[in-house]
Amino acid sequence: MKYLLVALQIVVLIAVSPFITGLIKKIKNFIRLRKGPGVFQPYYDLAKLAGKEEVISRDTSWIFAFAPYAVIGSVTAALLLVPAFGPGISLNRAGDLIAMIFILAFGRFFMALAGLDAGSAFGGMGSSREMFISSLVEPVALLSVFAVSLNCGSTDAQAVASYGTFRFSTLVATGALFAVTIAETSRIPVDNRETHLELTMIHEAMVLEYSGRSLALIELASHIKQVLFFSVIAAVAVPFGNYAVKMLVIAAAVAALEVSMAKMRLFRVVDMMSFSFVLSVIAVVISAMGY
Amino acid sequence: MMDINRETYIEAAPERFAAECLRLHKRLDSAVMTYFAEDLRKELGIFRLYCVFLDKEKKAWTVVRTGLPGADARMTSLSKEMFSAGLFEREMGEMFGIKFEESPDTRRLSLHDEVWPKGYYPLRKDFSPDDAARAAPEGDYCFNRVDGEGIFEVPVGPVHAGIIGPGHFRFSAAGEPVINLETRLGFTHRGVEKLFETMDADNAVSFSEKVSGDSAFSYSCAFCRGIESIYGLEVPLRASIIRAIFIELERMYNHANDIGGMAVDVGFGYPNALASTVKEDLLALNRMLTGSRYLKGVNRIGGVNADISGEMKPLLLDSVLRAREIMNELNGILHSSVSFMDRVDGTGILKKKTAADLGVTGLAARASGIRCDLREIFDGQVYGACRFKPAVQEEGDVLARLNVRFDEFEASVGMINKMAEMLDKAGKSGLKAEYIPKAGAAIGSIEAWRGPVIIWVRTDPSGRIERCKITDPSFKNWQGLCFSVLGNIIPDFPLCNKSFDLSYPGNDL
Repeated sequence: MKYLLVALQIVVLIAVSPFITGLIKKIKNFIRLRKGPGVFQPYYDLAKLAGKEEVISRDTSWIFAFAPYAVIGSVTAALLLVPAFGPGISLNRAGDLIAMIFILAFGRFFMALAGLDAGSAFGGMGSSREMFISSLVEPVALLSVFAVSLNCGSTDAQAVASYGTFRFSTLVATGALFAVTIAETSRIPVDNRETHLELTMIHEAMVLEYSGRSLALIELASHIKQVLFFSVIAAVAVPFGNYAVKMLVIAAAVAALEVSMAKMRLFRVVDMMSFSFVLSVIAVVISAMGY
Repeated sequence: MMDINRETYIEAAPERFAAECLRLHKRLDSAVMTYFAEDLRKELGIFRLYCVFLDKEKKAWTVVRTGLPGADARMTSLSKEMFSAGLFEREMGEMFGIKFEESPDTRRLSLHDEVWPKGYYPLRKDFSPDDAARAAPEGDYCFNRVDGEGIFEVPVGPVHAGIIGPGHFRFSAAGEPVINLETRLGFTHRGVEKLFETMDADNAVSFSEKVSGDSAFSYSCAFCRGIESIYGLEVPLRASIIRAIFIELERMYNHANDIGGMAVDVGFGYPNALASTVKEDLLALNRMLTGSRYLKGVNRIGGVNADISGEMKPLLLDSVLRAREIMNELNGILHSSVSFMDRVDGTGILKKKTAADLGVTGLAARASGIRCDLREIFDGQVYGACRFKPAVQEEGDVLARLNVRFDEFEASVGMINKMAEMLDKAGKSGLKAEYIPKAGAAIGSIEAWRGPVIIWVRTDPSGRIERCKITDPSFKNWQGLCFSVLGNIIPDFPLCNKSFDLSYPGNDL
């Protein structure tokens, strides 16, 4: 029964994930006095890409072809570990929250290699920036997860999710996790998904060489990754209230943040992430003190 | 009283030419404003060179002129002493086959080696396109290289991800900071100057609007002024005022567009949405006033076709005041946004000295502390009455260029109000339709929103155009951009680029 529920959960989450992206875009356009594409546009985009011919550079190796599968595989595997629809619905025996972060690192590793693989200047630039950002983000992710784990005495996602009492440290850790989410989902102020300026891109520059079905996979993977991080906040860090409502609140918060500020200068991300790091350290400390 | 530019020609022998130019350059403290050649081999057996400086005190153009033998045209390069002459020499080299000796850079600009054969000079009168099409191109362009450990090159363009003009940018970077940037332009070279030579002055007015679409009105205005100056036409005061109003409207919609563009280039969506409403309202206003959103078809030799009548005036004034309101709000949003200020403050600094040496003009020069605005120098009749003062900033960074735009927008609104008042006392007719074509040569110029558009034109007795040299402010300002990004990181380039917002077609011609 449990495995059936887990299977159902992952199918539903993957199916819904492009909608979240579409919804964020819709909210952003609403604030910007625009109509914008419909909320189902990401689905049409995926269908369009999946039906397109793929162009692969002659200079690439097997890594380029393999990376999209590594990425979508890793985000899906990580999503299996998150009890989104309720405590108990996840593969908690397979791995804990720490494992989740490292499973994601596996996908990122291949993505960065693939960016370099084609030998274009943009891919290399994107890969270098992505690794630079992730080296700042991962410690924050780990520490904030530690903080919420300390509260219940286990790094297991189910145990954290079913820990019913609200503590102040959870709030602080959630703040840090939100910064991680912004960075991991390529959102303003760290990255800008909508830009057409190839020189400013981070994630988009890395995947610039992809087309057709591979690009559809990568796009889908980033939708799933977004749901994953939103779920970690909604279901694990703040396990109170309705899951769907919390997801919408997070989506609205991300959208509002995106239109209300400019993207940071690349090296300013260091400041933002070190602030989040301090936040997560504080969360760990006050959690250890019992608040 | 006439609003025609004054110009003084100084004839110099070829061997005295360089020294004379240098003397004027120093005495007038003016960069080379434009520098061009004319093929007079059939008539006089020479190529004639013109080097134009701006005399701010006398409010006049000073032109040094010389003739080079048609068979073997060579000249000492001015660019070692005056950097601002360099691009013009490269242009004359490719267009006329004039050799500039001791020049540090003799590469071609718009006629790319990969597609254009050697030895064909399109602006010579005896040039045959068919022969050039048959000849095979050879050679390759050689970019400046930076060597060293960890230096890599990032080639960008000419095809870009956004819908913008084509240009190639070659970055040499060490990590993210830019060590060197070289632009290669000319992809939209259409042979504009050559095409002018096939036209009558009357027909050429509408063609001049198409040189650079976002400055359509400025171009036709500068062109008409050149022709009017040759014909000795006195433009009615009403036409001068209406022209000035439209110049300011063109400035306003472009400044709104750029301010929004700078916001969107740092991913700041809301201000851009506000700015686009301003731009759209102004374009719609243009259409109501003239029938053309981009103010095309308004200028004619001898005045303007359109009139701003009594009932149109409230519409004009309401629209610009509403635009000012939104721009003030936008100004507040941008200046109070920490994230935006952090991006623009201190980014892409163009130093005053560099700007002066390169001959950077217009808005970009004023943002670097150079007080130079043709409206102040030549258009005293209209702008003097409006108490025009150029907007100057000292820092030369992206923020300074942004603030110059805001200040100019504000000033434009004020001046349009004043000009609309002046219209009441300015006679009925905006057009002097009768004129007799004359042979002659003159400069027509205007301070367009980017900077001075300078058009030198020569006609024959029937009013046919013999030669038309166009100088867009972008031509020299592209170099300013290259210097301003040095030491900045690559992801800040688009922002620097937008803060200059230079024209591809105006540069490539």
